[in-house]
Amino acid sequence: MTEEDPNWRIWLAAAQAGDQRAYAALLAAALPWLRRRARGRWPGASTADIEDMLQETLLALHQNRHLYDPARPVQPFLFGILKLRGADLRRRRHRHAGRETALEDLPADTSALMTHGTQEHDAEQAGLQKALASLGERDRQVLGLLKIRQLSLKEATAETGMSVAALKVASFRAVQRLKQALKGGADED
Amino acid sequence: MKTEDLIARLARDAAPVRRLPSPGALMARWLLLTLPVLAAVVLMMGPRPDLAGLLAQPRFLLTEGLAAATTVISAYAAFCAGRPDQPTWKLFMPVAAFLIWLAELGRQCFVLSVQTNGAALVLHADWLCVPAIAMTALVPAAAMVWLLRHSAKFRPTHACLCGTMAAAAAAECALPLFHAADTMMMVLVWQMGSVALFTMLGAMAARLGLNTL
Repeated sequence: MTEEDPNWRIWLAAAQAGDQRAYAALLAAALPWLRRRARGRWPGASTADIEDMLQETLLALHQNRHLYDPARPVQPFLFGILKLRGADLRRRRHRHAGRETALEDLPADTSALMTHGTQEHDAEQAGLQKALASLGERDRQVLGLLKIRQLSLKEATAETGMSVAALKVASFRAVQRLKQALKGGADED
Repeated sequence: MKTEDLIARLARDAAPVRRLPSPGALMARWLLLTLPVLAAVVLMMGPRPDLAGLLAQPRFLLTEGLAAATTVISAYAAFCAGRPDQPTWKLFMPVAAFLIWLAELGRQCFVLSVQTNGAALVLHADWLCVPAIAMTALVPAAAMVWLLRHSAKFRPTHACLCGTMAAAAAAECALPLFHAADTMMMVLVWQMGSVALFTMLGAMAARLGLNTL
């Protein structure tokens, strides 16, 4: 352990008395030292994990600064908190690791990121159904006959009583309105 | 949040705090609360008629001394456990003290069993031991919880384990002054068993989250 700056004791004792500037000075001076000690103790830990440990340590120091005895050096006090809180954090991470999958090394478009295989298809279908529901009765009927049931124009005329030309126009307009509805849905998102 | 931002926020929130006394000072306070209570319990229960003779026996004084040492060491360790700058070896001192105490009782049990042709090994139910130790340990345990409430922020299970051992050992120290065990095996099984039982219960209470008092 490196030689401790004698100011650290003075700063922490002053922080116990409510001196905010001394406390800020101590925390700023201690942070790089703590970061170095954390990296030395857990060389395999990621940068994010080290930062989490440091933040836990600083929070624990803040909540327990009344436990510090100014007659003793500050570094063993800080390092003790780092060891205990760092070990707690690593235990928690280890416990949760079995239920987690690391995604850092996976490409962003991998299907592993999907909750289930038909998720995208289901989302598209839900959007289409919503757009269809927003159309008028006549449009829905025309699209249902010609696009979903895929009847011929002749068969559709028998069901609707419309002429072939009128059906063609109605079909074209229904598709245009459906496109608009889908576009509107996409804009809303 | 970035660590540097956290530092700025913590520094803004640096209200004055009341410094906690050292582990040695807290232990002294606990002893000041505990010793009069133990003395009162012994007086209330009535000292054993043969107590004066027992106090002249080195064997009895040795076990009482070891019980007292376990009490003091465990109490000190309990107050050290919550301090992050206290070394881990201090937390294992009560285990060493307890094992030495147990070994001495075991040695006495063996010697007496040889001398009495096995009479010292007779074991029967003594249902007074467990409640007597529990009742005697009640006030020391409550005093321990009261004094630990601001200091057992780190290693709380260790603090509770050592604290309960201190209270149980203190009760076990007082028990032979008013309650006579029939044989050495009774002391080993019932009295030391009670100490071990209460210590385990204390550690379990900490594991169950009762350390947030």
